[in-house]
Amino acid sequence: MKTIRIAGAQGFYGDSPLGAMAIAMQGAADYLMHDALAELTLSILQKDKIKDPTMGYARDIEVHARTLYPMAFAKGIKIVTNSGGLNPESAAEKVKAILEKQGIKGVKIATITGDDVLARLPEFKENNVELNNLDDNSSYYDSKFPPTHANVYIGAQKVKEALDNGANLILAGRVADPCLALGILAHEFNWKIDEATTQEDFDRMAFAITIGHILECGGQASGGNAYSEWPMNYSVSDLGYPIAHVNEDCTAILTKADNTGGKVSRNTIREQLVYEIHDPTNYITPDVIVDLSNIKLEDVSENKVSISGIKGKPRPEKLKLCIGQHEGFVTEQFFFFSYPFAYDKLQMFIKAVKETWAKLPVQILESRFNIIGVNGLHEDAVEIPNADELNERSELGLRIAIKHKDDRTGKTAIAGIVCLGLNGPPGVISVPGWGNMNRAMLSLFPCLIPRELINPEVKYIEV
Amino acid sequence: MKTIKLIDIASARSGDKNNVCNIGVMAKSEEDYATLKQHLTADIVKTHFKGLIKGKVERFEWDSLESLNFVCHEALDGGASRSMRMDSLGKNFSSHLLRLELEIN
Repeated sequence: MKTIRIAGAQGFYGDSPLGAMAIAMQGAADYLMHDALAELTLSILQKDKIKDPTMGYARDIEVHARTLYPMAFAKGIKIVTNSGGLNPESAAEKVKAILEKQGIKGVKIATITGDDVLARLPEFKENNVELNNLDDNSSYYDSKFPPTHANVYIGAQKVKEALDNGANLILAGRVADPCLALGILAHEFNWKIDEATTQEDFDRMAFAITIGHILECGGQASGGNAYSEWPMNYSVSDLGYPIAHVNEDCTAILTKADNTGGKVSRNTIREQLVYEIHDPTNYITPDVIVDLSNIKLEDVSENKVSISGIKGKPRPEKLKLCIGQHEGFVTEQFFFFSYPFAYDKLQMFIKAVKETWAKLPVQILESRFNIIGVNGLHEDAVEIPNADELNERSELGLRIAIKHKDDRTGKTAIAGIVCLGLNGPPGVISVPGWGNMNRAMLSLFPCLIPRELINPEVKYIEV
Repeated sequence: MKTIKLIDIASARSGDKNNVCNIGVMAKSEEDYATLKQHLTADIVKTHFKGLIKGKVERFEWDSLESLNFVCHEALDGGASRSMRMDSLGKNFSSHLLRLELEIN
């Protein structure tokens, strides 16, 4: 029986390439699957693209093209990624230039586009295409905020097509994360995607999507961020990224490369399976709805877990569209207070900050004061110890965050309070630049859009 | 009646989808799963987070993984990209839930 090895080579934009390089060096996979696009990432890429129209892709591909790709191509490993972001074609040109500089030849790069509909929003409005918010059913056309990006989660059909046509590097836009794996497996096992009709077709797709879901967060499936393995008895600085050995009969072994850190166990896989899933009987993707409720996971041997038992249902009628909207800005700054009277000094400082802002010509829409080490992460969900206890602490941190409409308010508001270092309570430390200044505050508008309006396209360039 | 700490019988992982945070709770054994199923209700989870979760909490049972999945609506201050929280993605909702103590018979 044919077995295909897919590695989860990247979990997010900015992930380390070292895990993927260890896999490529050992030739431990046939495919590297890179997921670079979290919900937030496209808005970050949009900012790059506004500054420079040739940008808008996940920039770690530039590092990968210099380090990882040559190693992978030398071993015959193919690479499938959605790092193309908002500009797959520019990404391909950039990668091509970097590969050519190294004298590398014989690479067929495929780009997948058609998911980015920002420029088509006026057309949708004109044609009365309903775009209603999945959470509160409001119409997008009533929204008062300007759009930053608008991308449709597209499926695996074009990934399969590009591989069928001989691509060995795919730079896609917003292909849904787990669909990257479906595209690979549908190509290798000649499974149906858009033409799926039978229960067998749906089960195969659902299985492939589950493999993709396990791999899409990289090291989170192989011992990273795992409470179930705490205290961790393995090294994480050389964490082995997850690899799925996938069989044509819809079973697989999940593992990692030899001589790497991390751990693959039923527990580490279980933790990743529940991650960002809602109803386990209805995990909705562009190509299939997955029923994970009867999934079977078993420890086979050290760092080997078997997986089977996944069922599929026909795909949803519509595709999901996520529109980013620019609501304003967030600015934050950190201050630290030392023993003695750390808590009393912190409270006095907050009072002085509020009084200062009241006198400044700034409009602060919302402010937040978190005590680092007390309620920084969990805010109102945790009890604050009494003042006597907090005053005994050797230090306390204060995080101040404000929301504002324009990009001048943040600077004015922070500049107005730094004088409290000299004018305020004794024993305060602040370092300018520790916080965020004018971080764009975006809301996401999730809605559904008819499939027939979205026509993904594949293009090829040869190196 | 005795008190059990959730961290002694389960692990947890949480993540975000816009303004929804899901917390998967994985029992350490079949017996622990039975305890979780009986005692760790959606209401207890919502109450434990005080004002952080503004919407409803749904509970899904996942028997084949001995896990419960809590889907918490309006839980992330508008969603990671517009949140003013330090834990904007709700990655530490898992940690906070593991602090919970359950009263069991």
